[in-house]
Amino acid sequence: MTLLQVRNVTRRFGGLTAVEDVSFDVFEGTIKALIGPNGAGKSTLFNALTGFDRPDEGSVLFEGEELVGRRPRDTVRAGVARTFQNTQLFEEMTAGENVMVGSQARQRRGFTIAMLRLPSAIAEDRDAREEASRLLRLIGIEEWVDVPAADLPAGIRRLVEIARALATRPRLLLLDEPAAGLNATETRELVQTLFRVRDSGITVGIVEHDMGLVMEVSDEIVVLDRGAKIAEGPPRMIQKDPAVIAAYLGGEVDDDV
Amino acid sequence: MSGRTLRALAPLVAVAVALVVPLVVSDRFLLKVFTFCGVNALVVVGLALLFGYAGQISLGNAAFVGLGAYTSAFCTVELGWPWLLGFAAAGAVAALGGLALAIPSLRLKGHYLAMATLGFGLLMSLAFLEAEPITGGVDGFTGIPFPSIGPVEFRSASSLYWLVWGCVGVAVLVAHNITSLRPGRAMRALHGSELGAQACGVDIVGVKVRTFVVSALMAGLAGALYAGVVGFISPSLFTLTASVTFIAMTIVGGTSSLAGPIVAAVALTLVQYVDALIPGLPRETAQTIQSYQEDIYGIAIVLIVIFAPRGLAGLWKRRNARNEAS
Repeated sequence: MTLLQVRNVTRRFGGLTAVEDVSFDVFEGTIKALIGPNGAGKSTLFNALTGFDRPDEGSVLFEGEELVGRRPRDTVRAGVARTFQNTQLFEEMTAGENVMVGSQARQRRGFTIAMLRLPSAIAEDRDAREEASRLLRLIGIEEWVDVPAADLPAGIRRLVEIARALATRPRLLLLDEPAAGLNATETRELVQTLFRVRDSGITVGIVEHDMGLVMEVSDEIVVLDRGAKIAEGPPRMIQKDPAVIAAYLGGEVDDDV
Repeated sequence: MSGRTLRALAPLVAVAVALVVPLVVSDRFLLKVFTFCGVNALVVVGLALLFGYAGQISLGNAAFVGLGAYTSAFCTVELGWPWLLGFAAAGAVAALGGLALAIPSLRLKGHYLAMATLGFGLLMSLAFLEAEPITGGVDGFTGIPFPSIGPVEFRSASSLYWLVWGCVGVAVLVAHNITSLRPGRAMRALHGSELGAQACGVDIVGVKVRTFVVSALMAGLAGALYAGVVGFISPSLFTLTASVTFIAMTIVGGTSSLAGPIVAAVALTLVQYVDALIPGLPRETAQTIQSYQEDIYGIAIVLIVIFAPRGLAGLWKRRNARNEAS
């Protein structure tokens, strides 16, 4: 079943077209990767899918509902959670508290209820706490629960951000370069986490530079180059695609100059 | 005594000390000084929520104190309302002011927000001066009645002390409930990373607006209390200097804490009244200290920012963490 339909999405910044007429589908229960050389428009597209940016044209349907024009908060409430290329943790809060904030996406008790410390506010608090420890256990980082985010190692930071996104109870989890800055062991742990997340019934979308990781985890890959989609298909097909090879070699030649 | 028991006992000790003050302090002026400490503490609890937890600076909170003070004075003196009704009106008018100030805060951050709130504060102190028919202009407002609730009038120094610190107690309880539950985490999340907070579904507009309103409400109620305690208000009380003093107390007190800012509010208020606090102090010494009051605040901020960026609360937490580790 199609969970996410991206249709003809275009985003321009002044004279530059960062994303040009991109369309693809994400099927439920799969891991889909978005790859491409630097500046291909991956992050711009990610922002457009999650309400952090608004595409100039096109449509993004999630379970048949239009996401374009919604605020980030409404997007996450609809069931699309995300992480950031530069982790956006709350540095002074512990790992556990960070994950608890994720629960706010599905909670609705407000200021007044909390001010009066009504039982419903306490119950909600307990629920968020239990959910946070469950998720930290699921990902295997429960021993970090009381450590302030500022003191966490890079690999754990990535995983805490994933746990926080999961606390919003998404149907689609979008990860922006989750392996950036990780060592080999940490990357292995990340791969295990991704499979565990998918097996728990959550569809995963991932922007990533680490080709080994992308080829290992994805069911399907979309390749962007200079804003446009140049290929789409399973990893084995993408590896042999002449347009993809040209784009990447071209990219590397440019880098060397 | 271990760090853990000490930390558990600290709030109880604080409450006990606050309760005992009017019983041991016989000097009426000194008791009034401690009452002013409570008025400032009430303003600072609101600012601690806004700045210490949610990370939104306001250099205009003295304007809310003024709004509250003038509203309560006007309602009781000119309209003849009962004090409690004027007190409620003071809170409501200040909260509306907070709502008005929250609107620029939605688009502004950091220095820009500081400038906007500063502008608001300046504008309001000008308004207090110019709106003569309501505020009495430069001469201010005199003959404001003592606070009263029904037949109970708060006339004596000790009853005013109870009233003010009772209000502080309620405010702390409310603020503690906010900070220890979901809204508090949303506020700290906002402080930590607005992008991250948005990605968690935090209603950042709602959190900012509500926090501004609550902080303005507390400042407004503090203003009404001040007017009732002193019986006289004038525009010179609600200036930029006062706003900066409140923010100084909040910074020295520390982020993500209520106790720290309250301690700082009391300590920095007492600096203004050293002569009352230390009976044998020569007049000249007291005057010297008082004339350097703003410099003392300035130095306190600089020292805190350099040596303890998380304020007194941060020092206290660090000490506890060390005790637990050893």
